Amino acid sequence: MTTAALTAGLERIPDQLGYLVISEDGVLASAGELENDEHTAGVIMQMVRTACRFRLPGSADPCFKRMSVILEDFVYTVTVSGQKVFVVKRQNNQHEPVNV
Amino acid sequence: MGCCYSSDNDSSDKDRDQREPLIPPNPVSKPPNGTDWVTTSLPSARTDEQALLTSILTKTAQNIIDVAAAESVMMEQHEYMDKARQYSTKLAVLSNSLPQKKANALPNLTSQPHQVLASDLVPYSDVQQVSKIAAYAYSAISQIKVDAKEELVVQFAIP
Repeated sequence: MTTAALTAGLERIPDQLGYLVISEDGVLASAGELENDEHTAGVIMQMVRTACRFRLPGSADPCFKRMSVILEDFVYTVTVSGQKVFVVKRQNNQHEPVNV
Repeated sequence: MGCCYSSDNDSSDKDRDQREPLIPPNPVSKPPNGTDWVTTSLPSARTDEQALLTSILTKTAQNIIDVAAAESVMMEQHEYMDKARQYSTKLAVLSNSLPQKKANALPNLTSQPHQVLASDLVPYSDVQQVSKIAAYAYSAISQIKVDAKEELVVQFAIP
């Protein structure tokens, strides 16, 4: 898959503010608010690696399709496909505060 | 006038008779006192050193591949081919068992990343519920403590 083919779909995601496509070797593509954001890429990669280590008893594969990092104004949605990590920064329209 | 170490032959002959030990000193035989330790330990130390040097030499020789000597062994073309085939089969067998050990590789979470990323965000109520459960769990864990009610070490009543 070429880089253009990888990112074409990401551009069309509703409320997207920017995206990153990361491989083991580094950032393959970036745009919008995440353009050249190596720092965020590094942090997300670490989070993905950590999340993938959690396994439910009896299952060999990680039991999730998407990781969401939810903040007040925006959300990072992350998934892994074909040894590439896709990160999309999306607007968070649910404005109720998360109380912990 | 005779004195010690004088060149007077008459007296020196008599002196030599008196001073000459009855048993001639043998350099190989051990003297009765303990001084021989110093004289005999020197050659043994030298042998130890020699042995050490020899072992270093042997070790070095084992670690060195003598290219000049190896080249003199002629190899037929088919022998090369045989060896190449043998090594590639071995490598293939080994590489088959490798992927399982590669724990750091990223798993494939989905085959349609765009669709997964474009789908609706997690509902606010779900996030709220997860946050609440996490807060409860944190609170529960922080309240875990050891409540010692009896002695940890108990003496058995031995009759």
